[in-house]
Amino acid sequence: MRFKLIAVGALALLAGCATPPPPEPGSAASKVVAMGKTKNIVVGAMRVARENGYMTVSVQLSNTSFNNKNMYYRFAWLGPEGFPIAEEESWKSLTLYGEQTRFLPAIAPTPKAVDFRLEINTP
Amino acid sequence: MFLRISFLALAALLVSGCANNSPVLGNKNISYGDTKAVETVTNEFGSTDLQMIAESMTRSLAQSGVLQGRPVVQVYDVKNKTSEYIDTREITTSIKTQLMKTGAARFASDNNAMDSQVDQLKLQNQSGLYKKSTVAKTGNMIAAKYRIEGSISSIVKRSEDYKDVFYKFSLQLIDVESGLAEWMDEKEIRKTTER
Repeated sequence: MRFKLIAVGALALLAGCATPPPPEPGSAASKVVAMGKTKNIVVGAMRVARENGYMTVSVQLSNTSFNNKNMYYRFAWLGPEGFPIAEEESWKSLTLYGEQTRFLPAIAPTPKAVDFRLEINTP
Repeated sequence: MFLRISFLALAALLVSGCANNSPVLGNKNISYGDTKAVETVTNEFGSTDLQMIAESMTRSLAQSGVLQGRPVVQVYDVKNKTSEYIDTREITTSIKTQLMKTGAARFASDNNAMDSQVDQLKLQNQSGLYKKSTVAKTGNMIAAKYRIEGSISSIVKRSEDYKDVFYKFSLQLIDVESGLAEWMDEKEIRKTTER
């Protein structure tokens, strides 16, 4: 009986680990779309402002390993309904040196943008 | 009877199995790729460089706040100071297209489009072919308040192990009346090939 209980508990724990809770809507994590492994790349604080009508974003990216990391990124700009309002951006290449923190600046292509997604891909 | 039905079912299955419902015709070695992908086929000027420059310059200019009230802008070709052939007109076309989409500016006929514009005005006004009420009048073209000028230069270095290309793209917006540069920005790109 005890074995069964332990087994059920272990299963529940495993299931809990396998499906982390989705990020809260509006949080910084909810704006990041990671494609592939992003081990040692941490997306930190995001600064969002509106300058001369255009949404401007600055995203903190940190490399937690000692080795240099290459990654690709692009922003997707969304309108009030949550749909993309401009043509897809081109992917950009970025090198993060070992233990480096960088800020990615971005400007929306149109004043109509109210939200964004940061797409990250690693080679 | 059972045998006949089985045979018909098998025949139908074979025919449907062989039917080609793929919308692709031709060589399987050819495929369409992502036009926004990072292109690193060689380290010469490529599609990613063109897209990054146009994106960065357009957004910097649109967000600068200089273009108030959708002014009329004339775009000049970007001067190619690199040692390689670059179709710089495509850079200005991309910048113009993206600025047009933002609605930040209007564009006067540039040097290349001016000949066609003048020809069309002459044709409408001097040929006598068109109904007078539909003819575009001369003397009403809108002059540019600003002009956009740019250049691209490169520094290329080679060693036994490396080829390094450094591109610098500069763009400026100049007030035609005062001659003052109202906005300027640069985009730097480094591409290195390890042999």
